[in-house]
Amino acid sequence: MSGSPLASSPLVVQRGILGAVILVVCWEGLARGLHLPSYVLPAVSEILAGVWSKRALLGEAAGYTVLEALVGYGLGCLIGIGLAVAITMLPPLRAVILPAATAINSVPVVAYSPLILLWFGIGVASKMVMVAMAVSFTVFLSTLAGLDRVDRRAIDLMRSFGAGRLNILWRLRLPTALPLLLAGMRVSTVRSVIVAIITEMLGAYGGLGWVIYQAVLQIDFVQVWSAIFVASAASLSFFGLIGFLERKILFWT
Amino acid sequence: MLSRRHALAAFTAVALTVGSLPISLPAAAETLTKASLRLKWLPQAQFAGFYVALAKGYYKAEGIDLAINPGGPNLLTENLVATGADTFGLSGGTDSVFAARDKGLPVVCIGVSHQITPFIFVTRKDGPVKTLQDFKGKTVTTWFTGANHVLNGMLAKEGIKADELKIQPQQVSVTPFIDGNVDVITATYYNEYYTIQSRMPKDSLKTFVAEDYGITFPRDTLIVAEATAKEKPDLVKAFLRASLKGWKEAFADPKGAVDAVMAVAPTLDRPQQEFMLTEVKRLMTAGKAAQNGLFWIDPDAIKTAHDFFLKYGVISKSLDLAVAYDASFIESVPVAERRP
Amino acid sequence: MSIGSTASLVEEKAAADLRPTGLPGWLRKALRLLLGLTATALIWEAAVLLFGIRPAYLPRLSTILMAIAATPGAYFNGFLRTSAETLIGFLTGSAFGLLTGIAFFRVRALREMIFPIFVVSQTIPVIAFGALVVLWFGNTLLAKAVIAFYLTFFPVTVNTLLGLETVDPKQVALMRSFGASNGQLMLRLQLPTALPQIFVALRLASSLSLVGAIVGEWFGDTTGLGVLLLQAMFTENVVAIWGALLAAALLGTGFYAVVATAERRLVFWSAEQ
Repeated sequence: MSGSPLASSPLVVQRGILGAVILVVCWEGLARGLHLPSYVLPAVSEILAGVWSKRALLGEAAGYTVLEALVGYGLGCLIGIGLAVAITMLPPLRAVILPAATAINSVPVVAYSPLILLWFGIGVASKMVMVAMAVSFTVFLSTLAGLDRVDRRAIDLMRSFGAGRLNILWRLRLPTALPLLLAGMRVSTVRSVIVAIITEMLGAYGGLGWVIYQAVLQIDFVQVWSAIFVASAASLSFFGLIGFLERKILFWT
Repeated sequence: MLSRRHALAAFTAVALTVGSLPISLPAAAETLTKASLRLKWLPQAQFAGFYVALAKGYYKAEGIDLAINPGGPNLLTENLVATGADTFGLSGGTDSVFAARDKGLPVVCIGVSHQITPFIFVTRKDGPVKTLQDFKGKTVTTWFTGANHVLNGMLAKEGIKADELKIQPQQVSVTPFIDGNVDVITATYYNEYYTIQSRMPKDSLKTFVAEDYGITFPRDTLIVAEATAKEKPDLVKAFLRASLKGWKEAFADPKGAVDAVMAVAPTLDRPQQEFMLTEVKRLMTAGKAAQNGLFWIDPDAIKTAHDFFLKYGVISKSLDLAVAYDASFIESVPVAERRP
Repeated sequence: MSIGSTASLVEEKAAADLRPTGLPGWLRKALRLLLGLTATALIWEAAVLLFGIRPAYLPRLSTILMAIAATPGAYFNGFLRTSAETLIGFLTGSAFGLLTGIAFFRVRALREMIFPIFVVSQTIPVIAFGALVVLWFGNTLLAKAVIAFYLTFFPVTVNTLLGLETVDPKQVALMRSFGASNGQLMLRLQLPTALPQIFVALRLASSLSLVGAIVGEWFGDTTGLGVLLLQAMFTENVVAIWGALLAAALLGTGFYAVVATAERRLVFWSAEQ
C-alpha cells in the first residue's frame, strides 16, 4: 500500500474524484449501452440500488466478516509483535523461529484454508485463525525490522545508566520500531478482510464471502457486485482507521 | 549441368505425371469441433460415463474434440453454459434449470441423468428423530444448492414450516454428525452415505427418502445454450450418442470406469469411487429409464417439480416447459442405444 | 528494509572474502540448506510419533511423501501448470506495474486521477472475481494468469513510483545539463536508482502471483496444485492436502529464490555504479 500518502491539496482531491467519476461513467455507459447481461457486468446504478435494497442482509454479512477480520487482526498483531519481541529479548530464538516462520509462509496463506477449515470447522473460528496467520507474519517481519534498527550505541548508553532489559525494550526499542511496526499493521488491514472473505467462500455460516457464494449459485450477479462493493468499503474504512490511529500515535512520539 | 530448359522440362513432366495420378490423399484430417463439458462438481465416479467416453475416443469418433471441465464450489454450470464459456453442462438438477430460466438465462435441458432423488436425510436410529415431525426443533444441515428444496418439499408435505427447525449450511466433513452435534444430515446415496457408513454401522442409521413422501427431484441435468440447440443440433445429438456409449461402457466395465476417473483425480479413494458408481447406476437406471433409456426426460416428473417450485416461490413465474426441456435430441437416438 | 538488506549483503560479501578458503560459498550454502531440511524432516517424523499426533491433524512426513510418490504425475503436472500460471501472471503484472509506475511518475495528473482507483481495486477481493473471471475468460490458463496479474501489479506500481521519487534531483539536473533526453534519463539514472525498491515489490509479487494462480484454480480447473488442494479438501484427504501444501511451498520458495538471486545480481550492479 502507498507509503507516501498523496498530499491532499484541493487540486489532488479534485483529480482523484474526477478519476473515479470517469470510471463510473465509463462503466455505466458500457453496461447500459451495450446492454450487457447482468452476468457479464451490471450497471453501477443497479449495483448501488441493490446495495441499498439489501442493506440489512449485507449489513449483517459485513458485520460477520468484519468481526472475523478484526479478531484475527488483533490476534495476528499480538502474535507478530510478541514473536518479534521474543526474538529481540532472547537472540538464540532467532535461529529457530525465523526459518520456521519463513517456511510456513512460503506457502500462500490461502492454501492453508482447506486444512484450517477441516480443523476448525466452518464457523468464525477458522476465519479468525486464517486472518491471524496472514497478519502475524507481515507484522512479525515489520516489527523485527523495526526492532533491529535500534542503534547499538543508544542501547549501550542506556545500559550504562543501569537500565534493565525490559526498560530498554519499553523506552527505546519499541518506540524506535513503532513506525515500521505500524506500517506493517496498516498494510495488513486490507489483507485481513480479503482473507476472511476467501475463507468464507469455501464454507461459512454467514459473511460477505458467503453472500457472494450464495449469490453466484442463485444467479444474482447484482448481489455479487453489491457484496463486493460493501467488502471494498469495509476494507477501506479499516485501512483508514488504522492509518488514522497511526498518525495519532506517531504524532505523540 | 542441367540447362535451365532441361530442368524446366523435367519439372513440368513430373508435375503433369503427378497431377494426373488418381491420388487418394488421406481425407484432410477431419476438423473436429471443439466443445467443452462443464461438470457440476469435482471429478468423481458420478461422472464416470463422460470420462470413459473421452478416454475411449467416443467423442472424437463423433467429431467432437471435447474438454471436460470440472465444477466446484463457487461455480454454477448454468452460468457458464449461458455465457458460452462451456458448450455443454451437467448441472445441479431440475431446480437449477428452472431457476436459471426464471432469471432469463438461455439454457435448455437436453437430458436428465438421475431419475430419482439422490438426496437422503440421515439420522441416528437411536436418536430423538423417529419421524419427519420429529425434525422440529432439531439441528438439520443441508446444502443450499438443491438439497434444501428436497428438505422443504418433504417438510411442506407434512405441514412443517422451515423455521420450526434449525437449518444450517452443511460442512465439507460429516464429522459434526458423527460426533452428535448435528441431528439430521443431508447425504447423497453415492457419496456422503458411504462416508457415514464407513464410520458408523449401517444399522445404526435411519434414512428419510423423498419418494416416500411423494416427492421426486430428478437431478444431474444435461444442458446446452439455446443458441447451441438451435444452430448446432447435430453437435448436440453427437454429444449425446457418444455420452450414452460412454455410460453403457462404464456400467459394463465398472473397474475400467473407475480407472478413467482416477486417472483424472488420482487422490480419490478407490473403494469409495466404486461404491459411487454402483449407486449412480441405480439412480440413472431407475424409473422410466429402464424402459426409455438413460437421460430420459420424464414430462410428469418435470411438471410436478415445476408446480412445486412455483407454489413455494423458488421460481417467480410459470415457465414454458417445452422450451426449457427439449427431449427431441435424446429421442433422436434409437432406444436400443439408450437402454442401459 | 531494502537499505538494510543491501548493507548486510555488502557485509556478508566482505566477511566471505575474509573467510579461509574451504568449500566455495554456494556449496556451503547448499549444504547448510540440506542440513536444515533433513533436521526439519527428522523433527517432523519424531514429533508425530512421540506426541501421537492424529493423522487428521498432522500426518507423518513419510506418509505424505509416499502418497506423492504413489501418484507423481498429478503433483508433477500440477506443479508445472501452476508454475506457468504464476510466471505469466508475475511477468505481465510486473511489466504493467512498472509501466504504470513510470507513467504516474511522469504525468502527475494521471497519478492523481488513477492511483486512487488502483488502491480501491486492491480492496476488492479478487476471489470474488474468480467466478466472474471464469465466466469472461473460460477455463483457460489466461483466466488464472489474469487473477495472478491482478494481485501482482499494484505493489510493483507503488514501489516503482516510490523508487523513482528517491532519485537525487541534482543528478537529474546534471544529466540534463549534458543534454540527456527523457528516455536516457529514465534508463540510465532513474530506473537504476529505483531498482532496489522495485525489487522489494518483485519479491512480494512473486508470492502474490502464486496466490492468484492457486486461488484461480479453485474455479473449475483440471490440473494444478490449487486443484489438488480443493480435491483433497472435499474428500477430507488430509495427507493429500499436506502433499499439495509441500509442493506449493517448494514452488513458492523456488520462485522467491529466483527473484532474490536476480536482485542480488542486478542490484549489486547498480550499487557498484
